[in-house]
Amino acid sequence: MSVQTERRALWRVVFLNDAVTRMSYAVMVLRKLFGFDEETATKHMLEAHEQGRSVVWVGQRENAEAHAFSLQQWHLSATLEPHEAG
Amino acid sequence: MKRVEVRLSITAVAPLLDLIKSVADELRTHLAVPLALSGTDAELAAVWRDDLLESQRDDCDRLFSLFDQEFFQEGVVAFDRDNAEPVLRACAALRLRFRETHLAQVGDDTLEALEASSTMGELDEVVQKAFACFLFLDELQKIILKYLDPMAVEEDE
Repeated sequence: MSVQTERRALWRVVFLNDAVTRMSYAVMVLRKLFGFDEETATKHMLEAHEQGRSVVWVGQRENAEAHAFSLQQWHLSATLEPHEAG
Repeated sequence: MKRVEVRLSITAVAPLLDLIKSVADELRTHLAVPLALSGTDAELAAVWRDDLLESQRDDCDRLFSLFDQEFFQEGVVAFDRDNAEPVLRACAALRLRFRETHLAQVGDDTLEALEASSTMGELDEVVQKAFACFLFLDELQKIILKYLDPMAVEEDE
């Protein structure tokens, strides 16, 4: 039972700001990895820039890990967190 | 994606390559960005680390393949569908590593101001060269990003 609960739990991928990475690079990577349009990618980039973090994806843990790995491959800082609804 | 040739100043760029190479060597064993998998199982973290390091090494190798005989004779580097993204990633990783090591003593505000003016300010001589590398890698990124999306870089300016 607890295993099933664990499997159903949602996780979020949080994109973290850094002071080095060029904004247009971050926007390009977010578009490429998450399929965002320009406006959405820019919104996430600015949110991370101003607030330090932006939730860019929520879903099953396995997929969240894959997204976080891809962000790291492009040298964008990210973290995984359990997603608490609401 | 067409092949794009960019002419660089050999006298400006060649002296930077040794330092960039030494930082790239550090990236063979150090991730540019800490692992996102804190608090999860060690086995997965180890697999990620190995895969990410391999990716970093490959990307840096692609960057250095730009500086071949043609570059040292003509000052020309060429981007195409195959190398644009790996070189972009290599520049990102190297800039992060320069910031963390050679430029660690420079404050964010100072660095931002120097970047905006593309001047060396009052940096120590040793730091000046690292900063020149930092700027050069940024220029390379700008060239590639502009090539991939002509509107993208203008928004940074």
